[in-house]
Amino acid sequence: MIKAAIVGCGKMADQHAVQIQRISDAKLVAVCDAEPLMARQIAERFNVPAWFTSVDEMLASAKPDVVHVTTPPQSHLTIGKKCLDAGASAYIEKPFTLNTADAEELIELANRKGVKLTAGHNGQFTHAMNQMRRLVADGFLGGRAVHIESLYCYELGDPAYAKALLGDSDHWARKLPGSLPHNIISHGVARIAEFMTGENIVVSAQAFSSPFLQEIGQSDIIDELRLIVRDENATTGVFTFSTQISPSLHQLRLYGKKHSLVVDDDHQVVIRLKNKEYKSYMRFFVPPVTFAGQYLRNMAKNFGRFLRNDFHLPNEAGLLTLIKAFYASVQHDAPLPIPYREILLTSRIMDAAFEQMNVQRQEQALRSLVAKEA
Amino acid sequence: MSTLNSADFGFATLIEPSRMIAGLGDQILVTGANGFIGSWVVRTLLKSGFKKIRCLTRAASGSSNLDRIRAEFGSANLEVINGNLLSREACARIVNGAAVVYHLAAGVEKTFPGCFLNSAVTTRNLLDAIIATGTVKRFVNISSLAVYSNEELRRGAVLDETCPIDTELVERFDPYAYGKAKQDEIVREYGRLHGLPYVIMRPGITFGPGKAKIPGRVGIDTFGIFLHLGLGNRMPLTYVENCAEAIVLAGLTPGIEGEELNIVDDDLPRSRDFLRRYKRNVRRIRTIPVPYSLFYFFNFIWEKYSAWSGGQLPPAFNRRTCKAYYKSQVFSNNKVKALLGWRPRVSMNEALDKFCVYAKERMVKA
Repeated sequence: MIKAAIVGCGKMADQHAVQIQRISDAKLVAVCDAEPLMARQIAERFNVPAWFTSVDEMLASAKPDVVHVTTPPQSHLTIGKKCLDAGASAYIEKPFTLNTADAEELIELANRKGVKLTAGHNGQFTHAMNQMRRLVADGFLGGRAVHIESLYCYELGDPAYAKALLGDSDHWARKLPGSLPHNIISHGVARIAEFMTGENIVVSAQAFSSPFLQEIGQSDIIDELRLIVRDENATTGVFTFSTQISPSLHQLRLYGKKHSLVVDDDHQVVIRLKNKEYKSYMRFFVPPVTFAGQYLRNMAKNFGRFLRNDFHLPNEAGLLTLIKAFYASVQHDAPLPIPYREILLTSRIMDAAFEQMNVQRQEQALRSLVAKEA
Repeated sequence: MSTLNSADFGFATLIEPSRMIAGLGDQILVTGANGFIGSWVVRTLLKSGFKKIRCLTRAASGSSNLDRIRAEFGSANLEVINGNLLSREACARIVNGAAVVYHLAAGVEKTFPGCFLNSAVTTRNLLDAIIATGTVKRFVNISSLAVYSNEELRRGAVLDETCPIDTELVERFDPYAYGKAKQDEIVREYGRLHGLPYVIMRPGITFGPGKAKIPGRVGIDTFGIFLHLGLGNRMPLTYVENCAEAIVLAGLTPGIEGEELNIVDDDLPRSRDFLRRYKRNVRRIRTIPVPYSLFYFFNFIWEKYSAWSGGQLPPAFNRRTCKAYYKSQVFSNNKVKALLGWRPRVSMNEALDKFCVYAKERMVKA
């Protein structure tokens, strides 16, 4: 039986608590939040036997095997270290840490203490992403990926988070080094990091505030980000983060030497782009039919899974899969669901992006100042 | 400008200005002041002649309603502060010198922690600041009729202030009501421990210009067809202007500390009358009447499936919610009338007309 605890009792904590309760050999033994009312309310709703306002007290008293850290990212390093020092493994929500140096420190400490870490990249474990990974493992791409495109959109109208952010000039997400994208893009960037084979990553970034945010006087928030990534093995990736693209898409395109793949995470659809030649005009008639067949099979697969009570919403399904795999790693020393290399590479790409973003922000601010004075 | 002696206000002549617990020159604080009810509370206070009204708004809610009020009444008696009750510093700043606090800010999110944070935690912060400042003579806490349990009430029985508060709001999957019930608990606790002079007000369904949607107690619009669930039930409606007047009175009437009052208007219409009027005056919609027993059975099945499937479908439909919103009850406003001397100034007939005109205008604009 895994004894789990949660630190940080906001909206993400609820999602974790729901999934932990779905795992038969896990028990949520404690919750903790600096705000006692928040700690108490989740304990009451999920029948958690103990709630705390101090992480140290919780670790000493409840002695959890795994701690889920769902606090704002600024506290991930400090809380993560406390957990690891106390001998607990830690599931740390995304973004894993504020920067790569902090991530390295945590991983080094986990290795030293003989405990484990994972990052909250549950978007990597949706049904569609799992299917994609099986196809890649079976050699569908014909080797490693040549190029990766990851599109990760975000709706500013989302009342669950964006309204809180826009309505609060002191919101913690505004204070992140990478602005709004820092709190969101880990899922999308991790999808690129997973398939980069080299270690020397070059990142080129374009970041700006959308005209929408500028109009409503919130240009201190960056909500548009484009990245081009390349490693020494000539694997390339393009990442797009946007609040303005409609519909709000979450897609991954993997291009191989033999075939390619499209993962539509919004609809849990995986489409195979096969390198197959058709005679003359047949190329315009046959592939659309085969694509239609693929979409139908995706629908059947999703519906079948729903009937078997094995679908759930993609992020919830991904969260459950990731938590289960992490617990298996902690309990039975199974491989980590997310290799540390992938966590660090994701962090390095984000560091490079935010460094350039902040230079561009300063330039943008300077241009605005000059324009005002003129 | 009108004063409390004006005949414009039904409530105005009911309290002698000398008996009011706050004078026209005292500092009044309204949280959630740009909201649907909050903006009407501000308007009512201004019409009554109050000269120092501090309005708290959140940036996310904008200030469109307050802008209209400023255009109508001027800015001289209004102080608008943009802030967040999650900040204790902001709470200390806004309650400074306040004699009466109307607390309408609330969490209206879809999640339990979101509603709890923005209803209960914010209220606790505000109350700590109020206790520290020591100037507040009345704290009017706006709750909701949704917090009551009608589990033990038979169909057609009266739902009033003597009914128990629902303690199973998580099972009801009702984050808003949960947040409000927890907020009320905190207010009562501060009353008990710190002598907070509070009144809890529980409006029913507040309607009027500013809200064009058909209330959920009438039915659910799904896939282009309106499922009419309310049928012959009385709707616990309160017209926003009437509701605001009751709330304002609750902040001024002496000797009602610790009371909890429901606000519904007189002559409550049946759901089918409301819908008929809407169809006639706003737009034609296709409706299917759904008997209570059938909808209850649907909720039962959904609830069981949700539990069995580990939440593959969330328990949004469940028997407790079905009973709370669609079991036929009678609603009473005897207590609010008796303690505040309040009378709904706008008749239900006139109020429904105003609602339909507004909803029609919105339709045309859309």
